[in-house]
Amino acid sequence: MIVTTARLAMLTLILALGVVAPAVAQPAGTLVVGLVAEPVNLDPAQVTDLNSNRVGRRIAETLVTFPEESTRIVPGLAESWVVSKDGRRYTFKLRKGVSFHDGTPLDAEAVKFSIDRQINPEHPFNKLGKYPFANFFFGNIKAVEVVDPLTVEFVLKEPRASFLAVLTAGAASIVSPTAVRKYGQDYALTPVGTGPFKYVSWERGQRVVLERNPSYWRFPLKLDRVIYRPIVEDQARLTELLTGALDLIVGTPPDYVGQLEANPKVTLLKQVGAHVWYLGINNQRKPFDDKRVRQALNYAVNKDAIVRDVLKGTGSLSVGPVLPKTWGADGGLKPYPYDPERARKLLTEAGYPGGFTTTLWVPESGSGMQSPVAMSTVIQSNLKAVGVNVSLQTMEWGAYLAKLRSKDQELFALSWMAGNEDPDMVMYPLLHSSQWTPNGPNRALYKNEKFDEILHQARLTTDEKKRADLYRQAQRILVDDPPWIFIDHEIQTAAHAKRVQGFKLHPSFDLRVETISLR
Amino acid sequence: MRRYLARRLLLLVPVLAGVSIVIFMVLHLSPGDPVEIMLGSQATQEDRARLRGDLGLDQPLHVQYVRWLGHVVRGDLGRSLWMKRPVLAEVLGRFKATLILTGTALVLSTVVGIALGVASASRPHSVLDRTSTVASLFGASMPAFWLGIVLMVVFALHLGWLPASGMYAPYGGGDLRDLLAHLVLPAVTLAAASVTIVARLTRAAMLETLSQDYIRTARAKGVVERRVVLRHGLKNALIPIVTVIGVQAGYLLGGAVLTETVFAWPGVGTLMVQGILARDFPLVQGCVLVVALSFVLVNLAVDLLYAWLDPRIRYE
Repeated sequence: MIVTTARLAMLTLILALGVVAPAVAQPAGTLVVGLVAEPVNLDPAQVTDLNSNRVGRRIAETLVTFPEESTRIVPGLAESWVVSKDGRRYTFKLRKGVSFHDGTPLDAEAVKFSIDRQINPEHPFNKLGKYPFANFFFGNIKAVEVVDPLTVEFVLKEPRASFLAVLTAGAASIVSPTAVRKYGQDYALTPVGTGPFKYVSWERGQRVVLERNPSYWRFPLKLDRVIYRPIVEDQARLTELLTGALDLIVGTPPDYVGQLEANPKVTLLKQVGAHVWYLGINNQRKPFDDKRVRQALNYAVNKDAIVRDVLKGTGSLSVGPVLPKTWGADGGLKPYPYDPERARKLLTEAGYPGGFTTTLWVPESGSGMQSPVAMSTVIQSNLKAVGVNVSLQTMEWGAYLAKLRSKDQELFALSWMAGNEDPDMVMYPLLHSSQWTPNGPNRALYKNEKFDEILHQARLTTDEKKRADLYRQAQRILVDDPPWIFIDHEIQTAAHAKRVQGFKLHPSFDLRVETISLR
Repeated sequence: MRRYLARRLLLLVPVLAGVSIVIFMVLHLSPGDPVEIMLGSQATQEDRARLRGDLGLDQPLHVQYVRWLGHVVRGDLGRSLWMKRPVLAEVLGRFKATLILTGTALVLSTVVGIALGVASASRPHSVLDRTSTVASLFGASMPAFWLGIVLMVVFALHLGWLPASGMYAPYGGGDLRDLLAHLVLPAVTLAAASVTIVARLTRAAMLETLSQDYIRTARAKGVVERRVVLRHGLKNALIPIVTVIGVQAGYLLGGAVLTETVFAWPGVGTLMVQGILARDFPLVQGCVLVVALSFVLVNLAVDLLYAWLDPRIRYE
């Protein structure tokens, strides 16, 4: 009996191994990308997550865009533009001879259609989507006017110097009106744009397939197809890369960085992104309403240790919300040094010689949150060392977001991806007092009148030099009167097989695979 | 028998209604708001109010439930809030993958579990028995996410024998061979705990049966040992084994959530996790209904099996 069972088991094992297929040879022009999660929706106007954006931006494009390695603004589907003196009218000249993948020509009507469907409740296609950016990005648009087939004008309600940066957002992508009319609600599943790749198919939970756009206006492509596979588990994504089943992965967890750097089979890339991770402080609550307390907290936290030991180098220290080395950044500012002695002194001056007790809310994970629990645990122990007893409350992301609307927060971990380097796009929403939650994302309930005024002034002028001066003043205010504990800007990582050539990470967190050729 | 079957099938209706009410309440009472998650943190109050109205989430709970139920009885599970796709097509498309995975794991745990159990019971305290006891303890204690990753590192990364994740190769492949190769690791991971439970239970049931008088009689009559163990022993020990296998079927459907996530298996489990994180009410309800339905049907099948195994059991 036992012998038979054992024999049977052996036989089954041999049979099982017999069916095991050796890895199929990789087709020459096909790139396989491993995503951290499945895209949700490929209608650019509805995308709020990084993975949908990374795929969707291959399909649809914007009027203005970024060059290869920075987030400065350059022409995209619009070849030139004029801004009126009062800063209220932006007139774009569209590129001639560009067509959508379905053959519809790109014209001013298509631009108007793409934006109008989001902002005009009467638009026949307004009810088909959730349009999360209708107010945040486009609330200031009074009208989109067709001047002639290749000229389109945006009329603003009030001047907004960052408007060009707004138009680089995925939500401002120009979509084929023919396709939206044809597919209706299902456009999100069958997107049509002007981009380097055309949508081919989407097998749920398995892969999204794109194919080269042979008449792409910008440059001829070297890839034939791109396949995106959602693989949530880090180890699985890594294994697939190392065994050659994937060519490129993004979002390598910090713990794997060293392993990948040492592996001769793959190349690891790093690039600081337009992102900020901060420990929010409720500025309206005692004892945090005293700026000395907020300064003390900044001195108390050892950011170097967090970046080095928790993030394994995948973060760059932050002095504030603005990304260092961009046009609006103040290069003279230094991050708060780690100085617990100074922190204790400031707390004593503020009337808390024995420290105090408070609560820190932390999401378990979330878009752009890096390693929230581990980072917060270090912060907790740093603060304990200066007498501030913090109890950590971890929450699931959805529950966390809901809780942050309550205004009951004391300390909270959060991050922001602006997607571009315009200081207005990170400072205004996060710190202007008109943006207090629940109406906007200023969850620290920060209010500094001088700062508010400077940000307002900077929106009115389109002169970049003047704006840069104003933003530098604003950053100095933030260092003196800190709204948060400043932590880091994420250094995004990607790893690819050696056969992948010509790939660069982009600071906007986009994944520009169109530049890739395969060896 | 036919009346019994009809009655059991009719009972499905209140069971599923109960499940749907419970899951509806749990989802709506748990913290987190789909609109918040769908729109992101930059959205204004106005955007949120508009979307909430568009989705009907501003209605009282009972109104939302009745409206949902109204659609369900017409065979329409609604559209996913988040992905905008029809829930029924989405869930059924994924359910096929889950059935393949749990079905394989169930067969695996039944065959291996019973074989191990019978072998242990026929030579109690032998090396094989002791080894299987230790292996059982190990299998039952290993969480799927740990075992899965270990198997992946060994068989995919180091040995390179099997693919690490997914259901088919991203290109080429797509045939049965490809599917089987992708199925091995997740199916073994999923089956591990069940194998041990089935093995332990089979051993216990067999030991009890084998100590019965009629077994001694059979042996005394000179029946060959193999026949004693299989025909006289196993068949009479099967009732509790079938029961536990039925329970395991439900456990495997639930456990598939973890295994599917680890191996990027495109089943209902991964879909349900996405749905829960996004508070996608219609999607989660759809997934739970399908899983609950299959669980109930498996239980019914087990009850019917009893009658077949033991002719003394009759349903009227």
